Amino acid sequence: MSTIGEKYTSISPAEFFYKYREVAGFANPVKAFYQTIKELIDNALDATDMHGVLPDVKISIERADEVQEFYKITVEDNGIGLPPDVVPYAFGRVLFSSKYSMKQSRGMYGLGVKMVVLYAQMTTGRPIEVTTSRENYRMIYYFKLRIDINKNEPVIIERGAWRKTRDWHGTIVSVTIEGDWNRAKQRILEYLHRTSIITPYANITLITPENEIVHYPRVTTVLPRPPRETKPHPHGIDLEMLKMLLNNNGDKTLEEILVSSFQSIGSSTAKVLLSTAGIDPSKKPRELAEEEIQKLFNTIKNYDKYRPPLSSALSPLGREVIEAGLKRIFEPEFLYAVSRSPRSYEGHPFIVEAALSYGGKTPMSPQDQPVVLRYANRVPLIYDESTDVITQVVKEDINWDHYMTSFPAQLAILVHICSTKIPFRGVGKESIADIPEIRREIRLAIMEAARELKHYLARKAREKEALRRVETIAKYIPEVARSLLIILEDESNEYAKKTLTHKLVTLVSKRSGVPVNVVDSIVKSVEIGA
Amino acid sequence: MASSEVDIKTRSRALELIRSHFKKLVEESEKGHKLQLVFPKRTLSNTIYDQKAKMLLLGPDVQYRSFTDINEAKKFMQTLLMASIIYNTLRNNEYPTIRDLFYRGKHSISYTSVDGKTISENSWDEQRESDSVIRDLEVLLNILREDLLILSKEKGKVVGNLVIRSGNDVIDLSKMGHGAYAIEPTPDLIEFIDVDAEYVLVVEKDAVFQQLHRYGFWRKNKVVLVTSAGQPDRATRRFVRRLSEEYKLPVYVLCDSDPYGFYIYSVFKVGSITLSYESERLSTPTAKFIGVTLTDIFGTEIFKDVLKKHGVKEALEEVTKGISKLGSKQPYLTPEERKNFVIKAKLRDVERAVELVGYRVAEACLESPEYKSKIKRKEGASGYPWFLTPEWVRELCIFFYTTSKLEIEAITGKGLKFLADEYIPRKIKSGDWIE
Repeated sequence: MSTIGEKYTSISPAEFFYKYREVAGFANPVKAFYQTIKELIDNALDATDMHGVLPDVKISIERADEVQEFYKITVEDNGIGLPPDVVPYAFGRVLFSSKYSMKQSRGMYGLGVKMVVLYAQMTTGRPIEVTTSRENYRMIYYFKLRIDINKNEPVIIERGAWRKTRDWHGTIVSVTIEGDWNRAKQRILEYLHRTSIITPYANITLITPENEIVHYPRVTTVLPRPPRETKPHPHGIDLEMLKMLLNNNGDKTLEEILVSSFQSIGSSTAKVLLSTAGIDPSKKPRELAEEEIQKLFNTIKNYDKYRPPLSSALSPLGREVIEAGLKRIFEPEFLYAVSRSPRSYEGHPFIVEAALSYGGKTPMSPQDQPVVLRYANRVPLIYDESTDVITQVVKEDINWDHYMTSFPAQLAILVHICSTKIPFRGVGKESIADIPEIRREIRLAIMEAARELKHYLARKAREKEALRRVETIAKYIPEVARSLLIILEDESNEYAKKTLTHKLVTLVSKRSGVPVNVVDSIVKSVEIGA
Repeated sequence: MASSEVDIKTRSRALELIRSHFKKLVEESEKGHKLQLVFPKRTLSNTIYDQKAKMLLLGPDVQYRSFTDINEAKKFMQTLLMASIIYNTLRNNEYPTIRDLFYRGKHSISYTSVDGKTISENSWDEQRESDSVIRDLEVLLNILREDLLILSKEKGKVVGNLVIRSGNDVIDLSKMGHGAYAIEPTPDLIEFIDVDAEYVLVVEKDAVFQQLHRYGFWRKNKVVLVTSAGQPDRATRRFVRRLSEEYKLPVYVLCDSDPYGFYIYSVFKVGSITLSYESERLSTPTAKFIGVTLTDIFGTEIFKDVLKKHGVKEALEEVTKGISKLGSKQPYLTPEERKNFVIKAKLRDVERAVELVGYRVAEACLESPEYKSKIKRKEGASGYPWFLTPEWVRELCIFFYTTSKLEIEAITGKGLKFLADEYIPRKIKSGDWIE
């Protein structure tokens, strides 16, 4: 292969994703439809519950062309809204995102909504429309934009501003894409259903092209605590990040940079790190040699006396929210949620939450495992279930026999992992990798919930057994009473019959511990044949 | 129908007994005690042979049947149901049989279980169940079913110089023609008016009874002649017992010469295992087995031959002391007659014999290798204590050795005259019987 004369051209990120759209989940009209809805709903929820706002999210999908499979998708939220100057870049430049800071959110790559715009442009050629306002604004802003693919720049086609006549804040986004609604419908409904399980505090309404209305009403006003922005933990950085930090802080000393850029590093720790690396703390970044940067990086990575990563950047759902959510959808007879304490892997904090829902309207499981509902940073994971570490724990690490459970059963297990960095397998973001620290936490969380399930099932079995035992006695009460009354020559005395029956019921109730009314109901059901 | 006076008295006594017993039960439970019936256990393990009284009696074990015990609740209900049915029949002047009682109490009981299913069962399904609670009530109330006016099929018959009052009628049992008086199911209601007899002869076989009757045996010998027609029922046993007890008449029992015949004799004498609670009223401890014995057929020489065999004497001495010191006697049959009358014992007979005297006697005396191997599974059977006397062991030993049995009818084959005028009188006169 000849390299001489070979031409290397750089392409813009927008162009890159335009060409390789399957990477972001836009491979075909079915996946693209699903992905578009998912991105827009994720954004709507991020703009609300992550900021302490109880979400009201309305999604409408309408047929936008009589001949072609064009659909107009409009998602409205009551979130914090966007500043007008940010709007063109938030929707019109790939990789611009508010999501690069160290805090938990639904999306992470900053790609989602821009891929939607690109996909719309590519299939229908119609621009995106954005209407937004923030709480203290007096105006509502409107944009119609597209992306210049080569330059990776937003192109504003139309803009406008109105005075607010009512106290509204939030964002309304409309895109028109080509999609295969018939085949995407089930996936989209499933996604919405899964999302609603963990958002009992949200009102979510979907209007389909057939004018069907799917509505999940709010059942609690409890919101998970919003995440706070944090500096990265020193164990969580890579060499490129370190170089970027050094470049961006050229006029500070190394000590100042370490202290101001990382959590868990004060001036004494900074001094220890720099002296271990053999670097003068007062040196400025530009005075560092390449090997010194490498050495500093290794020292930071190998130092083991930091406090664990702060968990304030995380926003676990909490037991109350999980239980309210599962109750809303499944109305189970048994429900138990666990929210574990924060842990970390490779400098990234994470929290595992798990819940078991048993009976009621909980769906019937397959033959060999419970129904598994997986979530990462509040996003439901629907595909690639078999490769997910959560599934592996459920199938391999938990001995369900031990918890008095055999399958199929009306048993669903919900696992939510939140982290500043979810270790996904691949860019599909549908499956979580097997990280030992995470696997262990998942196992412990499920075991805790399963123990409660076992206690519940054991108690239920005991109660049922007690009832069975009492039944074998209580069913004979009428016959015994009748016989005794014949012998006492009192058989036509209704009062005596009532009194004696009641005496026997009380006696059986006292001996068995089963309440009088239960014994009584068995007795009342007895029929003596001729 | 006008009931007789004894009948009316018996009814009101039974009604009072049942009512007061269950009234007490209700009162006890009102005081906070368990609702439970307490009565002697009617099981094989609680059936003991009283060596002194020489009868089978119920042991000291007591059974508690509590309504709130899930394993006993149904039986408790059945017991009360049966008590109420019997109570009603007594009140209504009825005379039910145990089969009637079974049908009267059999009905469905249905209920709705916790999981919403309707479950139905019967108060009882088989007569075995209702019969069992009748026996329970007998021991619970300490009263025989006859006194509860429960009837059974009449099986036993009697003739002889005997005048009785049954109900409101006086009956002379010497004036029954070719027929006989069927012993009523409630023999305690019989009043003996006149008894003129030397002894009572109980014959197992109805056919033999009829022959002796027509032959005039009882008139000639002043005998009360009774037949149980096979396994004796309660009424026959009670009737015989009353004659023995109230008139001190000796009782002789004439049965087939096989283990079944021997057992029928023992039922008269010591009682039966299933009805051991009634032995005190039904058994006749002085009853004697007049025949037919194996020594009547074979004489005693044959036994001496068996004793000479290796280890037999020692084995039998261990089972019962003094077996080698028994007296000797001649057979009643000639070798020729023996050959004609005797039949071969079946495995069933051998097994029954093992139950009577135990496996060791069978092992020591059995010659047939076929039977020997087949009874191997009875190893460990030790026999009934009342059969482990030198005389009975000798009988059974000859039985095992010869595997022969003989029906009484065969003796009449030698001539009814021989049986009536020679065999029976001679045996009684010479005291040739087994106790």
